[in-house]
Amino acid sequence: MNVKSLFWFYFGFVFVGFASSLWSLLTSVLTVMPIPLPYWLLYTPGNIVTAGVVVVALLLVLYAYLGVALVLSKLLRGLVPIIMVIAFTIGLALLLAKLAIPALAALIIAYLMLIGTYSVLTSIATTRASKALWATATIILTLIPLILMAGGLALMNYVKYMALVEQAMAIMASAIEAWRLGVEQ
Amino acid sequence: MWSVSRALPVVVLALAVASMVVLVVDGVGASPSLTASIHIGGFGEVDYYASQPIPNVPPGLLVRVFLINGSSVKPVNAFIDVYANAPSGIVHVAMGYSSSLTVPFNNTNWQYAINKWASLGIPFSGYNTSMLVFITYMHGNESWIVPLLIPYNVGWAYRALGKSTPLTATLSAATPRYIVVNAYINVNELRPSRVIPVRLNGTVTDPQVFGTYNGYTVYNCSLSGPQPEVYTSSPNEEFTPTSECVGINGSLPIAWATWSSGAIQSDSGLLIDLSIYFSGTINWDAMSTDYGDLGTSYSASENWGPQSAEFILGSQVTQPGSVYWYYGGATWGIVNYTVWYVEGTMGAYYVGTTTVSEVLYVPPNDYYAATFDYGSGPISMFYNGSITLSEQYFGYPALNASTIVEYAAFEYTPYGEELWECNGPVGNTSTVFGGVQYTLYTVTLGGVNTAYGLSSAELGTELGGLAFDVLVEVVTEGEATPLIEFLNNVGSAIFDIAGLLIPPSTSTTVTETSLGINFTTGTNLYISVINASAVYGLPTFGFILNATNYYGGPASFTCKYGKVAQIG
Repeated sequence: MNVKSLFWFYFGFVFVGFASSLWSLLTSVLTVMPIPLPYWLLYTPGNIVTAGVVVVALLLVLYAYLGVALVLSKLLRGLVPIIMVIAFTIGLALLLAKLAIPALAALIIAYLMLIGTYSVLTSIATTRASKALWATATIILTLIPLILMAGGLALMNYVKYMALVEQAMAIMASAIEAWRLGVEQ
Repeated sequence: MWSVSRALPVVVLALAVASMVVLVVDGVGASPSLTASIHIGGFGEVDYYASQPIPNVPPGLLVRVFLINGSSVKPVNAFIDVYANAPSGIVHVAMGYSSSLTVPFNNTNWQYAINKWASLGIPFSGYNTSMLVFITYMHGNESWIVPLLIPYNVGWAYRALGKSTPLTATLSAATPRYIVVNAYINVNELRPSRVIPVRLNGTVTDPQVFGTYNGYTVYNCSLSGPQPEVYTSSPNEEFTPTSECVGINGSLPIAWATWSSGAIQSDSGLLIDLSIYFSGTINWDAMSTDYGDLGTSYSASENWGPQSAEFILGSQVTQPGSVYWYYGGATWGIVNYTVWYVEGTMGAYYVGTTTVSEVLYVPPNDYYAATFDYGSGPISMFYNGSITLSEQYFGYPALNASTIVEYAAFEYTPYGEELWECNGPVGNTSTVFGGVQYTLYTVTLGGVNTAYGLSSAELGTELGGLAFDVLVEVVTEGEATPLIEFLNNVGSAIFDIAGLLIPPSTSTTVTETSLGINFTTGTNLYISVINASAVYGLPTFGFILNATNYYGGPASFTCKYGKVAQIG
């Protein structure tokens, strides 16, 4: 497998995770401080959604890159992230076209494929630690929609913590992988 | 020496560790999280943040001003003037010339208003009051004065300052600590006023309307509390605001029906039924002449009805008048705000003026039976007194073509009795009154929004753009799980958004007014609806019944709904 190419995926994943959480922390604190701020630095619903769209776009590029790199390395499971990116893009396009039901179908497929992508990342992890972290993140990702379906949006606060844990695990796992691929090989 | 390939993994590890720290800070709620967001027209946004205390950032209100010109949105200096609404009037709290102004909860003047609320003894969870903010932006000889209403709960101030009273007991677990207002001066959309040189004579005109009328007390509602610190921008230049507040204390009509003498004569024997059903959180929105709806000035949980008032024209009611449901002891204020600009040697300028009508206080869950008004009650006051006041302060008649809706009519034609549904549906129901079964034709009006599409302050979508729109749409259909979960990689910020979309568990609000009328063959009756919300922001509807034409006798009117039914 082309080790170098996967390193860049993990690097990108950690970087995007870091940048988005830092943006959210910085802007939320700056917004309530009595200092003049440009509009785009405010922690408003509009800006949060804009940042979300940028982050999702970056992640889609990363996942597409991951899929292509795996397929080029003769690992057919690389098709999973590629299908996920395609399904998500279609879902988003349908959503923007206000076709809620077909969009939902595409997004559900995308989500299932996202769980699949995490499983793929678990399977290609090179250390025990990162394997365990990816596996746990995959389980959380699988549980979240089940919990929301059972308890409704009222459980959003608990889901938020689960998602934070999941995000932290995915970032740590990526960092471990990047370290191993970049330093030890 | 480290090679680039060796340095990169170290960077990744460092970023990962830093991410962990940020995620933990976020996870324990140390950083502000968005708990609610309101858009006010195209000129204001209010965001509420819950947070742990942040050193040197006192909890309270923060107003920021942005200038929108084309696609550019930039912070801009403006004269920011903040008033607090109290149950019986307004208190001048703070002012300054800057692109942002902070007013902490522990500001003496704000505390003065907060204490007035606390002295009512109503649990804080039962109502929300508001701050009234005026933003004055001057550029060359053009000026813009934008008023905004910032809803808040008095209990938030108590909690943020670490105080507690029995009144805070029923507050929800998390309360906002910071209220951030973004005011937008959109010079492309908002019409400017002209800055005019004037000679200041220093006298304030007495509105000459104070007194008691038909059970209403009209008084000066600028509370003589503490005044804000004298503001100076530079030694020679200064913005000077003046505000006149006319307070009206008395009955606030919820719904009413008025009949003319013509209706008494020609439609004698008809059964009239005025029903109301108000339950849940009722919002009273402030209105201004220049900007329309400015946001909610007062909201409270109310529980009315369903209740019906039924009577027969001509026998139980023999003279022209009205029947009405009302809130007693409510306070309503009309604030006329003017700004002057004084430049040392160059003299004084009149910058502009704006007028705001706002409900300050409505007692909780008060119940009064439907009441008749034959010329000396609140409805007469509404037609006579308020219209005069509104002409004086708003500069135009309260009841003009835009506030009267020609709703429906019974017409006796050579083909028989016809029901014209002009501006909406007319249903039918049956009722037993005095042992007799009647079929009532009913006009049912929903809340302010549903009935007239009046845009009240609501979840913002304007600057959020399409994505947020779509997110809201999908989430409100309850099927957004995959999208939100995918977005969890965006960081916890997206959960703030998702959290905003969860309806509070007790949010079912019913605001319904209906008028039912039976008919006999030969009935000629025209039903007009007054939309008081468009002028005063009151979620209040009045029906006017006339025998020969719609209210005001329009020579022509539009019959948009345009349904005609043969009913007898």
